[in-house]
Formats: sequence, C-alpha cells, structure tokens
Amino acid sequence: MLPFVLYFVTAVVTGFHVYTLLSFAVYKVPVNLFELLSLLGSFCLLIAAYVSLFRPHAAARLALLACLVMWSFYAPAIARIVRTRWAKPAAVSQFMGATVGATSKHSLLRTNRA
Amino acid sequence: MIVPYLAAIVLALATAYSAVVSFRQKTEGESAGPSWLFPDRTNRPARIFLGIGMLILVIGLGAWFSTNSRNSPPRSFRFLIPEGYRGWARVEFEISGAPALPTERGQTVIKIPPSGFLTTSSPEQYGWARDTYVFYSSSGVQSIPDSGPARFIWGKINGEETGSSGKRKYEEFFVGSEQQYKDQIDQPKPKDPSRDSHSPAAIP
Repeated sequence: MLPFVLYFVTAVVTGFHVYTLLSFAVYKVPVNLFELLSLLGSFCLLIAAYVSLFRPHAAARLALLACLVMWSFYAPAIARIVRTRWAKPAAVSQFMGATVGATSKHSLLRTNRA
Repeated sequence: MIVPYLAAIVLALATAYSAVVSFRQKTEGESAGPSWLFPDRTNRPARIFLGIGMLILVIGLGAWFSTNSRNSPPRSFRFLIPEGYRGWARVEFEISGAPALPTERGQTVIKIPPSGFLTTSSPEQYGWARDTYVFYSSSGVQSIPDSGPARFIWGKINGEETGSSGKRKYEEFFVGSEQQYKDQIDQPKPKDPSRDSHSPAAIP
C-alpha cells in the first residue's frame, strides 16, 4: 500500500500545482513546455500508483521515469529560487541605502540649501 | 503558497523510493517475504476497492473541469457606444438595483447611454478577453477600431475605488481620436463622478 499512497499523493499534489500554473495562461502568461511535461509526468505517476497494486517493481520503474520527467520542470525552478534567495546585494546598493537613510548632517548627498 | 514546497518534497520522496525499488537487489540473507516498505502485490479486494476509487476520482475531476469550463461566464465585453460620442465612457459594476448586463453570442453587451455613464448589477469580468467596440445609431452599428492607426479607443482602465457611496468597481476608456485623447489627458478629471451627476467629460 505504501507505493500506491506515495505515487498517488505525489501525482495529485504535483498535478494540482502545475495545473494552477497553467491556468495563468488565461492572463496571457506564456505556457512553458516543461510545465506540460510535468503534467504528463503526474499522469504517468497516477498510472504507476494503480500498477503498483499488481506489479510493484514495474510500477517503480514507471514512477521513476515519470519523476525524472517532472524534475525537468522542478529542478530548474528550485535552482532559480535558491539562487534568488541567496543572492547578495551589490556593495553599491548597500552604500546608497545607508546614504538615503542617514540624516542630512551625515549624508553624503547633502544639498547646499539653507 | 505551501503547495510548491509540498510538491517538491513529495516528488523527491517518490523519486528516491521508486529508484530504490527499481534497482534493489535482494541479498542472500534477506527474507523472501514482503515487508511494509517493499510490499508485494496487494490482495484482490484492496485492488478492486482502490481501482474503483481511482476511477471515480478521475471521472469526477474530468466532469468538474468540463462543467466549470462550460458554465464559466463570458469574459469579453461588447461595448455599444452612441454614434458621435466623444469623451470618457465609464461603467460601474455590482451596483445594487441597477439592471444586469445581457449576453449575446458569448459576449456580455454593455450599451453606453448618451451620458457616457452606465451602472450595472453585473460583476466585473477578469481574465484574458478580447473586447469589441461598436457605434450604434438608428441606422445600425459600426465597428470601432481599438488598435492600429485609426484607433478610436484609448486609456482603458479598470479598478476599484472608495467614494462617498462606498466601494465601486469600474471600467473606463476614452472614445475619440489620438489628438482628442491627448488633449483630454491634460484636463483634470472629476475626483468623484458620483457627485457631478455621473457625467464624464465629453468633447463636443
């Protein structure tokens, strides 16, 4: 029962996620080919869940194939999220931020108004 | 917001598990019997029960999606503007007591009166759509270009604002030539249209 539950839950959760992303197409968001591949992978995983009730070994191979296809969408997406989150701001940006936040007495951008 | 993270986690688990099962070799000391982690085929009643359950789920989801797409209201508007009208046209949505908008051939019809201001009890439509604009008169209707060199529709906006009469969802656009539109931008618009008899500025 474990493989059935695992494959089934994965298929439903990933399928729902990608379907949500694809639904943004109505707002003119371009559809990514990897999103469609991932949706196909979710469907294959659903089939693998059913096959696992009869032939667990064959179902595992089908599930592995489906998961690898789905990673073609998820891996670049995760990599991008990680890169964005760990990106350090440039030193120039930090300097400008401190300058803007300083009082006029200590500011390097002080004007000569009376 | 949790769905993407949950999807990545369960996908990683499914990948790891299916890889282990696919390439697993039974060692000599290992018992031949199935374990909870690597079970053998499920018994017949469970197979039938889960098979029927999955079939119902798939059919139910398919029916739900098809019903949703069929019952979804038409997103595009067909604006009927009085012949010769120039100026800002405004439609306010979800106004209680106002008439609902009719639907014709998959499009919601909005007939702008000569004042250029219309209220309706119908909701605003969101999403991708291709609106159409026509001039109407006693002799019939004439299409209005909303793009290209002969464009006659400008500055279309929609939004929500809070005024003296509460929250209002609205849609506005300008009817006229490019020069008329540019001239109109320089003129200040009334702050609250509900105060000045709901009449946007019209160009003679």
